[in-house]
Amino acid sequence: MRNRIGWLFWTVVLLAARFAAPAWAEEAEITVLNPQGIKPAIRLIPMAERTGTLDGKTIYIVDTKYPNTKPFVNELQKHLAKNYPQTTWVVKDKVGNYMEDDPKLWAEIKEKAQGAIVLIGH
Amino acid sequence: MPTVSIVTRRFEELARTTSYKKGVPNLRVSFVPHPITDRPAELCDQYLKGNDPISGQPLIRQIADGLAQKVSAEDAKSGFLEREPRPRLLQPGKPADIERMFHDNQWTDGLPIVMPTEERVAAMLKGTSHKPDEVVGVMRPSPPHEAWEFTVEMVAVNAVMAGARPEYLPTILAIASTGVTSLFSSTSSFARMVVVNGPVRNEIGMNTGIGALGPFNHANSTIGRAWTLISKNLGGSGKPGETFLGSQGNALTYNNLCFPETEEGLPEGWQPLHVQKGFKPEESVVSVFSGWSLNDIAWYSPLPQQEVIKNWLTHFFSFGTNRATLLLDPVVSTDLKDKGFKSKEEFSAWLAENSRTPGWLYWSTHTAELEQAKAGVEPYASYLKLGESDEVPVSRFIRGATARADGLVGVPSNTIEIVTVGGGTNTFWSGGDFSYVASASVDKWK
Repeated sequence: MRNRIGWLFWTVVLLAARFAAPAWAEEAEITVLNPQGIKPAIRLIPMAERTGTLDGKTIYIVDTKYPNTKPFVNELQKHLAKNYPQTTWVVKDKVGNYMEDDPKLWAEIKEKAQGAIVLIGH
Repeated sequence: MPTVSIVTRRFEELARTTSYKKGVPNLRVSFVPHPITDRPAELCDQYLKGNDPISGQPLIRQIADGLAQKVSAEDAKSGFLEREPRPRLLQPGKPADIERMFHDNQWTDGLPIVMPTEERVAAMLKGTSHKPDEVVGVMRPSPPHEAWEFTVEMVAVNAVMAGARPEYLPTILAIASTGVTSLFSSTSSFARMVVVNGPVRNEIGMNTGIGALGPFNHANSTIGRAWTLISKNLGGSGKPGETFLGSQGNALTYNNLCFPETEEGLPEGWQPLHVQKGFKPEESVVSVFSGWSLNDIAWYSPLPQQEVIKNWLTHFFSFGTNRATLLLDPVVSTDLKDKGFKSKEEFSAWLAENSRTPGWLYWSTHTAELEQAKAGVEPYASYLKLGESDEVPVSRFIRGATARADGLVGVPSNTIEIVTVGGGTNTFWSGGDFSYVASASVDKWK
């Protein structure tokens, strides 16, 4: 009789452990560390003033020369010239590939133009 | 300067988020159908007669308005934009919910992670003498993107997530200190490779033998995986559409080809990679490479091994056409030494000097020379007579090479790297378009 009670006791204990432990583990809350790095501050760059009209102005169309996009650039210039004939639309190729900077061109635009369109592939 | 950007619609998210991060959140952008490359003029004309596919406004008028219409007070503001706060500890939660949140935030590689609890991160930090708040460096998805800064503790968090052990932390910190992301943002799908040299390979039990590049070793696997998690979480990389644009992605970036060089299998006179890069043999070093793909080759040929490798280099074609890295089994390295190549450098120079370029590939990458060839300018005119299927006697692997009638001119420095790795079970070698980027000391981070 004592043996049977003993077996029954341990069976109940084992069953409780089998079913209760995973439930307890699932419900326990944990605290973890943030895996992300530190993002830099963003300094706002005020947008340049616009005067309300393009008449009499020169606008550069900067071609960043993504491969085989020249037909689009040429068509863009045609459409702009047709719709805004009082504006001078100048297409300029940026030096190097589309990843390279071109400070000389930026200086030229500042000197000779009043606006720019920058084309980015693909 | 009043400016309007024109971007294809596929990159809307990239354009918006980049404008924000550059400090012009309302940058005037007009979108056109994607792609515009290789489209005939007639189709471009139709695009331009139509509407911006995102805003629905007539495209040409929208571009002109962007240049002319006055700027709002909001857009004329200066100062700083507030970023979301970065708490060191996240809100407590059940493990399953936290893991789900990490996946949803794209802080993982899609596989299960080890939860970076305070206890586990503290244990990981025992792997280095450096303070948790020491800045390790910065990393960014590609040059135009913003750089994120990170500390030793932040690297440890990601090392825990990857399943790494504390003794791997100096190697992982060294990789992170290079500032090189493993998830470079380009529409081509880059891969990365990290080669470990020096005593640390054996100290942490890396596999330098059979299956060194495969999923057979805890250190090789988790160190490589940690680089991907670091790139995402500390380098701001790997968010598709925003900070990752690789059209197909690259399966190699799950582990980034993390393996140790089999220094014990190097023939006499062949230096380990880190010694080639200026470190001492007794130093532990990681070296990172950038590329796209590998070919795995064991070719039984009556030709000597060097001829097989040279011919493969001539005809190997991938996104990177003028760079190569060879992973040679120790058996192959020893064979080559026996054939008379006294060092890696000697074999690399021989390959660069003797490999050629298939005609079709040469002319598709040398448009200016093609014009000269058509005008009868030598040596290009003679090259052109060879035809597209013949080999042009110009190597793709010599830096600063200039073509000459008798073949090659170039400086000794070339773009072929050689690493020895493997278990010596056969005459296997792998070759791919990887190029060396940087090395960093592991010892510095112990």
